[in-house]
Amino acid sequence: MTASALKDLVADGSFLDSEADLAVYSYDAALDRGRPDAVVLAASAQEAQRVVAWCARQKVPFVARGAGTNLSGGCIPLRGGVVLALARLNRILEIDEKNGVAVVEPGVVNLDLQRALEPRGFFYAPDPASFKVSTLGGNAAENAGGPRCLKYGVTTNHVLALEAVLPDGSLRRFSLADDGPEVLSLLVGAEGTLGVVTKLWLKILPLPREIRTILAGFPSIESAVECVSAVIAAGIVPRVLEAMDRVTVESVEAYAHAGYPTTEAVLLIEVDGDDAGREAAQVEDLCRRFEAAEVRSADDPARREKLWEGRRGAYAAMARLAPNVMVEDGVVPRDRLPEIVARIREICARHKLTAGLLFHAGDGNIHPNVGYDERNPEETARVKAAGRDILQACVDLGGSLSGEHGIGIDKREAMAWLFTAQTLDLFRRIKKALDPDDLANPDKLFPIEAKGPALIRRKPRPLTKGQEHLIELSKTETANCCGMQIVGSGSRLRREPGGLAALAVTACREIIDLDEKNLTVTVEAGLGVREFIMALGEKGLHVKLPDCAGTLGGLYATKAWSRLRDDLLGMRVLLPGGEVVDLGGKVVKNVAGYDVPRLLIGSWGAFGAILDLTLKVYRRPQDVSGPVAARPLSPTDVSRRLKKAFDPDNRLNPWLFA
Amino acid sequence: MNTLGRLLTDLGERSTYDAVSQCSRCGYCEQSCPTYKATGREDRSPRGRNQLVRLMLEGKLKDPSAAREALATCLLCGGCQSACYAHVPTADLVLEGRRRLSPRPPLAARWLTALVGTRPRVFAFLLHLAYAAKRAGFSRAAAPLLRFVGLSGLAEADAHAREAPKRFLFEELRGRAWSASPAWAYFAPCGPNYVYPRVGLATVKALEKRRGPGKFLDNGCCGLLAYNYGDPAEAREMARRAVAQAEKGGDVPIVADCSSCAAFLKSYPQLFLAEPDWRRRAERFAARVRDAAEVFDAAGARVAGPVTCQNSCRARHGQNLPAPKALLESAGEFRPMAEADDCCGGAGAFSLLHPELSEDILKRKVANIKATGAKTVVTSSTSCLLQLDAGLSKYYPGCTVLHVSEAAALDGDRQ
Repeated sequence: MTASALKDLVADGSFLDSEADLAVYSYDAALDRGRPDAVVLAASAQEAQRVVAWCARQKVPFVARGAGTNLSGGCIPLRGGVVLALARLNRILEIDEKNGVAVVEPGVVNLDLQRALEPRGFFYAPDPASFKVSTLGGNAAENAGGPRCLKYGVTTNHVLALEAVLPDGSLRRFSLADDGPEVLSLLVGAEGTLGVVTKLWLKILPLPREIRTILAGFPSIESAVECVSAVIAAGIVPRVLEAMDRVTVESVEAYAHAGYPTTEAVLLIEVDGDDAGREAAQVEDLCRRFEAAEVRSADDPARREKLWEGRRGAYAAMARLAPNVMVEDGVVPRDRLPEIVARIREICARHKLTAGLLFHAGDGNIHPNVGYDERNPEETARVKAAGRDILQACVDLGGSLSGEHGIGIDKREAMAWLFTAQTLDLFRRIKKALDPDDLANPDKLFPIEAKGPALIRRKPRPLTKGQEHLIELSKTETANCCGMQIVGSGSRLRREPGGLAALAVTACREIIDLDEKNLTVTVEAGLGVREFIMALGEKGLHVKLPDCAGTLGGLYATKAWSRLRDDLLGMRVLLPGGEVVDLGGKVVKNVAGYDVPRLLIGSWGAFGAILDLTLKVYRRPQDVSGPVAARPLSPTDVSRRLKKAFDPDNRLNPWLFA
Repeated sequence: MNTLGRLLTDLGERSTYDAVSQCSRCGYCEQSCPTYKATGREDRSPRGRNQLVRLMLEGKLKDPSAAREALATCLLCGGCQSACYAHVPTADLVLEGRRRLSPRPPLAARWLTALVGTRPRVFAFLLHLAYAAKRAGFSRAAAPLLRFVGLSGLAEADAHAREAPKRFLFEELRGRAWSASPAWAYFAPCGPNYVYPRVGLATVKALEKRRGPGKFLDNGCCGLLAYNYGDPAEAREMARRAVAQAEKGGDVPIVADCSSCAAFLKSYPQLFLAEPDWRRRAERFAARVRDAAEVFDAAGARVAGPVTCQNSCRARHGQNLPAPKALLESAGEFRPMAEADDCCGGAGAFSLLHPELSEDILKRKVANIKATGAKTVVTSSTSCLLQLDAGLSKYYPGCTVLHVSEAAALDGDRQ
């Protein structure tokens, strides 16, 4: 690459290529290294765009970087090229209290936004552990979570719009308000493999008036997890539901003397809102009912902070015991937490390691922390092997590879355990559609050849009769080179003339799995929305969906309500060639792979037929106000490119992208 | 080799390599670093500097001098050390890195440390001459010439120092009658000695009022200058002199009124890791040292108008001292400022060696001061006094900076 040409494109001081500069942009918070050929410290979004456009012309790979706190190697320029550092784009451009929106540049530090919002009585919900240093652009790229996301959702639930430079160098804006497939959702959590975010419109929320914090020590992991399930079953959605095991508590106590009970498990629970007082009392009762030896609670900031001390000091304590700490990040359905804890302990014993466990118990996201010294290759190898085994166990228990840290480099191999070859191919086609030359953060996210012994592969969920039938039909019609139209109840999509074969999803109308412990439901797309709501109602359960005509699939495919995306956890999709891809699942937190389920909201069936959906369910009625009306699809060049990735021969609902 | 080789870290005694390898690259230090915040550059961040030192030690930098700018631009404030869970001693590590890059310190630094350390009379004489020139207005006229001949540091120093005392602190204090059974011993840091005698006089006055009679140690330089810019072996010799001298007068608290100096006095044991006897003596000495910022952190101060506090880095991060809240709250209307724990960009010779970066950091600091509406800023290090005095006069003229001792000494003067 001819770096000097790039130097001429950017402002003085933006271009760095000394040996020291290249050395310090070759790492993030993970273990790997990769030396870039040059670093551009972008002084403006325009400069960032010029750099990407230059890279596109010269076919030079580039990696966007915020604070470089990534724990999975996402910021490491594996193939050299340009590191596009966004730390200087750190202005908060606007805070619109009336509409609840903050407009920021990608280099704004999460905490700086919180500090700007607090005096105005607002907050930004996602709070990854790195919030004091990590940037909002990085948070969006990784779809960061944090303790508060149990109640408020992860980053994708708070990004209203993005301005991004696509790998071809074009500067675009994507918004939730856009018609058509939700491209915005595809960019959030894409780990910089589909473009570089240059501006964000974020949802901000009024600060809750009251917050109560409860700390309780339990005699076993099981009793703590049962208590968690009971809290959620009681219809309480805590703003925080953190757990620590005995190893963690003991190491914190040795360092921070927080006065935590040294029981097998400790829960830190927070409730907020106008009902906080009553809910807190209820939570305390439940803790005692599940044998909590000690229950403390606080409502004023100073005493609350005191209860947080041990939790906040947990990682710190680990970081003092050894030079490096592996912070693994796996997810399992909440009720499988005791099993995963037992398996993690067994795995660590087998590798002669000790793990302190920290988990976001409410959403089944577990962080085993294992201290080691990277200068000791033998120990490092054991730690890596244990990490791998832990992820396999998570996959085995129906969970996912990452709740919030991302795939990056470290978990590429594991992607093949979780996703089928067809799904991974789809991800690759999506990447290729937006980045044909594979320049944006290349070699990340996608699986590499497995190094270890035989893989544990997720056993695919069985197909229903109706699904089998549709797949057969789709294969036959594809073989006959026929175009197909997805046919639902006809309330939104009318039958098109022109001899298209009908893929009637209305035959698929089962509730496949209603998990009352995890509060998730998997339901086929052909079921009527009304019938679905009624069926759940009979069991005393609720979904956040408007009571309206038509099928569930149709509701989602036409983006007929604005908050459909909030509770969407997974989706099974039939692609035109008869391939089935399963995306997401029963875990509420999942950042493995592209967010295809949300992309399909508003795609009008042109990308694939939604076979079933996995959604959150609630014990209490939800706010389902707001207009219900199908949103039209008018193709853009980006959605056309994506259409080709899903349906290269334009067989599904072909008139839409004619 | 003029490096220390071993450091006394928060996790115990470690080799420099082990100490730097404790940095796991988590990046939680980044926002505690004023030079990173000012530039957004990883090589101007604590993590970046640690990694460069580590690469140097591992022999992985083809051209070690590539790290020079990154290490040279460290303020040595220690903000990162406070932010780090493992308290990785980045400032000490940066110094170790600098020493490896320049086994022989620059000539000017060697001269200066030799003068201050071993020829204080010659130094005092030269400084008297310089101050006389300054008072006569010569030095300002000479600034372009100084810059032209490459001595811009001197010109900057001259521009920064707005005071040119006629008598140095030790000249004021030597003649006094000190107590035979003192309750405290005053260690005069170079700052109050040569630049701000009024600060030292205020310290002595406030100490006498609060603690009764004491004595003046009539000490030499603590060695910090040599430690930061010259040869640590010289610093070690100065430390020996200071320890030996202080041992003569019993074991009363030793009060120093420049936080940089006090922090260094407290860190003496690190200089003697290879000498068990001296290490023990240094430990006993260090245990006696008190920063004025901790001694005077009690009610009983008075300043005009709302007051805020710049927590000098070497008090906050070098000694883990909290802001002197009790003093501030009694002094007047205390208005805490944002980023009070961040370095102001003074940092010893930093403002002279890196004027632009220092100015960026200073502007941010003054903006934070201004946002509080304070009329007085209290701080506790000579560098901060110089830097804030310059910054306030330029960007927020209604506000003045006071040393914590001055605030303490003012109590009772103006009722």
